[in-house]
Amino acid sequence: MTEQTRHEIEITGVGKVFGQGETAFHALRNINLTIRTGEFFTLLGPSGCGKTTLLRVIAGFEQPTTGSLSINGQSVVGLAPNVRTVNTVFQNYALFPHMSVAENIGFGLKMLGRPRAEVAATTDEMLRLVRMESMAHRKPAELSGGQQQRVALARALAPRPRVLLLDEPLSALDLKLRKDMQSELKRLQIETGITFVFVTHDQEEALTMSDRLAVMNAGQILQLGSPHEIYNAPSERFVADFIGETNFLNLKVTARDGSGATVGLPGGATAQARLAEGISPAPGDTVPAVIRPEQVQLCPPGEGDMDGTVTGAVFFGTDTHVHLTLSDGQPFTVRRQNSADQPEPANGTPFGLRLTPGALQILRG
Amino acid sequence: MAGPARESHRWKWLLVSPALFVLLLAASGPLVIVLIYSFLSPGNMGGVSWDPSTEAWFRVFWSRDIFEPELVTLNDSHLAIFWRTIWLSFQTTVICAVLGFPTAWFIATRSARTRMVWLFLITIPFWTNLLIRTFAIQEMIRSNGTINTALLWLGVIDEPLEMMFTEFAVLLGMAYVFLPLMVLPLYAAMEKLDFRLVEAGYDLYASRRQVLWHVILPLVKPGFIAGSILVFIPSIGAYVTPRVLGGGKTMMLGNLIALQFGQGRNWPLGAALAMVLLVIVVVALIFYLRVTGSEERARNGRA
Repeated sequence: MTEQTRHEIEITGVGKVFGQGETAFHALRNINLTIRTGEFFTLLGPSGCGKTTLLRVIAGFEQPTTGSLSINGQSVVGLAPNVRTVNTVFQNYALFPHMSVAENIGFGLKMLGRPRAEVAATTDEMLRLVRMESMAHRKPAELSGGQQQRVALARALAPRPRVLLLDEPLSALDLKLRKDMQSELKRLQIETGITFVFVTHDQEEALTMSDRLAVMNAGQILQLGSPHEIYNAPSERFVADFIGETNFLNLKVTARDGSGATVGLPGGATAQARLAEGISPAPGDTVPAVIRPEQVQLCPPGEGDMDGTVTGAVFFGTDTHVHLTLSDGQPFTVRRQNSADQPEPANGTPFGLRLTPGALQILRG
Repeated sequence: MAGPARESHRWKWLLVSPALFVLLLAASGPLVIVLIYSFLSPGNMGGVSWDPSTEAWFRVFWSRDIFEPELVTLNDSHLAIFWRTIWLSFQTTVICAVLGFPTAWFIATRSARTRMVWLFLITIPFWTNLLIRTFAIQEMIRSNGTINTALLWLGVIDEPLEMMFTEFAVLLGMAYVFLPLMVLPLYAAMEKLDFRLVEAGYDLYASRRQVLWHVILPLVKPGFIAGSILVFIPSIGAYVTPRVLGGGKTMMLGNLIALQFGQGRNWPLGAALAMVLLVIVVVALIFYLRVTGSEERARNGRA
């Protein structure tokens, strides 16, 4: 097997129920997931979707109610966190307030009983890795949020775990710092080659950092794939809605071919659409479909695939979101790149809408 | 910048003046009297006669031979009582800490609602008079008391265990009485403990014992400090418990002082001994705060 296809974590049929009887809460339902060695994997979903619970199951803080979990080919069900070769970066960092930065970073190795010299050497190395050499003797309370974040990372990386779990580590940082830490995290992941499992509710973060991601909701994984796949070919409405902005249209299937379908657009024209995995609508069915706002160009009325009338426009700097009403009354949004010579479209202006070929996707359900 | 805010502060001290007045009258006043008495001579029928003398202070540490007043030896019985007082108080503090830690931990890890119930149970002993509780312990441990009767009946022992009037009895009584004073501050420290730090410890390969030693204990140390002070100081001055459970053989400093003001009819000696008690407490406090405070300053964290 090559390095890319080795399986670091295999989760099979994992379920987690909190409480019993009437008040039982199903935090995880039948999770099946394989995380590959050395990849940056993201669990993305709204709060309460079970992503943190799944992370805690991997770390060993929670035992799954059903199913099995193996790390590096060995089952870890029933094993305590302190015997798993997995380390966690906690959401609030959870740095030990009574220890210095260096003591925090060296804690894991010290607990593993490594020689003093090795602990010191690795601590120095980690301090350099996260660029905190000058802060080694500070206490966590004397550090800024971003600095605490770096220490938490260094502390979790120091024992060289097989897997690093990150529980929304950037959520407490301001925007600028978050952007810096995103590239910092990516750099650390590539430098160390450690498998990262990253939990976030921020779709942009998930798209920019991950090799692959899983979108979760209500304790289930809805879709698994590369950021490209998830963004461009969402399989259901929740995924499409949660990631980026999207136009939802209810369309009628007019014909089927092997991998796609032909659908009738408002106004009478037809377009080719891709199908989400595992569905097979018949001609005549009304199906939910999505198309991203940037996959549509405005053109003079009658020259596009559909027609619409402007109801509003929102200026975003690099581009403008133009809100329209289609000829059959469905709302639609187009993202138009801004240029200095282009006037803002006035309300009531009619436009034609040209779809990028292959951008229309038919969803499940 | 100062203005009206500063102005209103100027008179705030008036708010504490009634308390200051009571403290001055009820604490400093008697203390001054005791200090003065310790430098006077004993009166014939108790009390003091107003002849200045350092004899009482001399007698605290040394004793004169009855027949040859020039023959001066260390006052062994007094020194033994000082030592016993410090040693028993220290042991009481340690016992309370050892028993109090798991108790406080148990309470702090309950759900918010049940915590209140447990805390309430901990404070129930305070509702009953100390003397009555001490007599209850006597009833438990005396020769034909509850414990001995039960053990004899079960055939575990052939003759009653001698528990009354021993240091064990005094320790038992003091640990029982002062345990809540250790549990409550420990609980307060544990309640503030961020349990995610405990998880972080486990995550970083620490065993349960290592998490306890390297994470939990350092973080609840302020609770131990407060609890130890609250237990040690009243233990040093304990009177009722050693009187009822210790008898004459295991006298503590409090009993020795009471003896001088009663049967001994030597008020100046009693007063000097009381000042010694005060000095022991103050020295112990300073020593304790030095030891723990220097570490505290070195860490400077948010614990």
